[in-house]
Amino acid sequence: MRNINKKFQPIISLVSRLLLGGVLLVAGGLKAFKPDESAGAVAAYKILPTNIAHLMGYALPWLEIAIGVLLIIGLSIRFAAVVATAVMLIFVVAIISVWARGILIDCGCFGGGGAVDPSKAAEVHRAYLVEILRDLGLALTGIYLYFFPYGLLSIEKPLQIIEEQ
Amino acid sequence: MVKQAKATKASGGDNFTRWLVIGMVTLVVATGAIFSVVGQKTKANESFIALKDFKVGAAVAATVDTNNGSGISINTGAAKTIDLWEDPQCPVCNTFEVANGAYIDDLIRAKKANVVYHVLSFLGNESVAAANAAYCAADEGHYLDFHKAMYLVQPALENSGFYTTQNLIKIGKYAGLESPSFVDCVTKVSKLDLVKSAYESMAKYNVQGTPTVFFNGKLWERKSGTFLVEEFSAAFEAS
Repeated sequence: MRNINKKFQPIISLVSRLLLGGVLLVAGGLKAFKPDESAGAVAAYKILPTNIAHLMGYALPWLEIAIGVLLIIGLSIRFAAVVATAVMLIFVVAIISVWARGILIDCGCFGGGGAVDPSKAAEVHRAYLVEILRDLGLALTGIYLYFFPYGLLSIEKPLQIIEEQ
Repeated sequence: MVKQAKATKASGGDNFTRWLVIGMVTLVVATGAIFSVVGQKTKANESFIALKDFKVGAAVAATVDTNNGSGISINTGAAKTIDLWEDPQCPVCNTFEVANGAYIDDLIRAKKANVVYHVLSFLGNESVAAANAAYCAADEGHYLDFHKAMYLVQPALENSGFYTTQNLIKIGKYAGLESPSFVDCVTKVSKLDLVKSAYESMAKYNVQGTPTVFFNGKLWERKSGTFLVEEFSAAFEAS
């Protein structure tokens, strides 16, 4: 296992970066220019007071874009990975929270969001499960990147490689 | 593991670079958020253009009927009753208002019907704020104007930050509500108890969505998907 990881680590790190960074960039990009939609989506979770929820709705897409870009180009990978993992875990907790309180919403992960008609309860619950698993998976890639930040096609390079040049 | 840990010390891991990156990310997020906030403010101001030519009607006395789900009752005691259940943020209620609002206004002003507005707030915090303001407006005799103005500027998205205290006061201003008591009532959310009791009465009257209409206590089962005023007025006349 250790040897396999050693051999493929640069590729796994690259794939993790593109996956996590790509998802964040797309999610942020789809929401950044629809601030009212994004603000409404955060408010629909009914976790934060409305004003703070709106502010978070305005800021979150830009954070996703910034972290996504850092991961894709491979700069400050560890910092970006920690933030991305934290963000994903917060999403997981938020979705579990709405599920537990019986609130039916569209997660608004890639735009959209808000309350959903009670007749679609089954679909929404299935979506919650998929979202939780997806975000946990993305959090795992973030954790991997914390331990193995350097891979192929990264601006940031480990010391050894620089010395060899 | 060791190789990678060592590496961070050499590149991208030094304090200067770390703070530089954190600073840049903060800058991007702050700029984006400020940009959005300013954009939203401008958009909110633009939506008030719809009220530019708003004409305030004569004051109409309204009472709150605690025996009828804390509804806002106008022309109490008239022969026919219409109970309207609406949420300020519900887009379908806006469709209903566009189709039948003027007709209902005429009925009320001609004292032909006792209309009871049940202002609900199940769509979230902003509905609570707007419903509270509606009760404040009823106290001042301008519920009808406020109700009309509120639907004219209703944002397409729920809970998107439009029904703030500030904007509700502004809607009131267009609807002829300039008294300090109205401003005070909106600011202090003085009617929260009524808003809650109206919301809680939904189950009692078996109201499951909005808009819901009762003619003399009998549920209006409309046949068309849209709210045709012909169908509504015929149902009222027949009731």
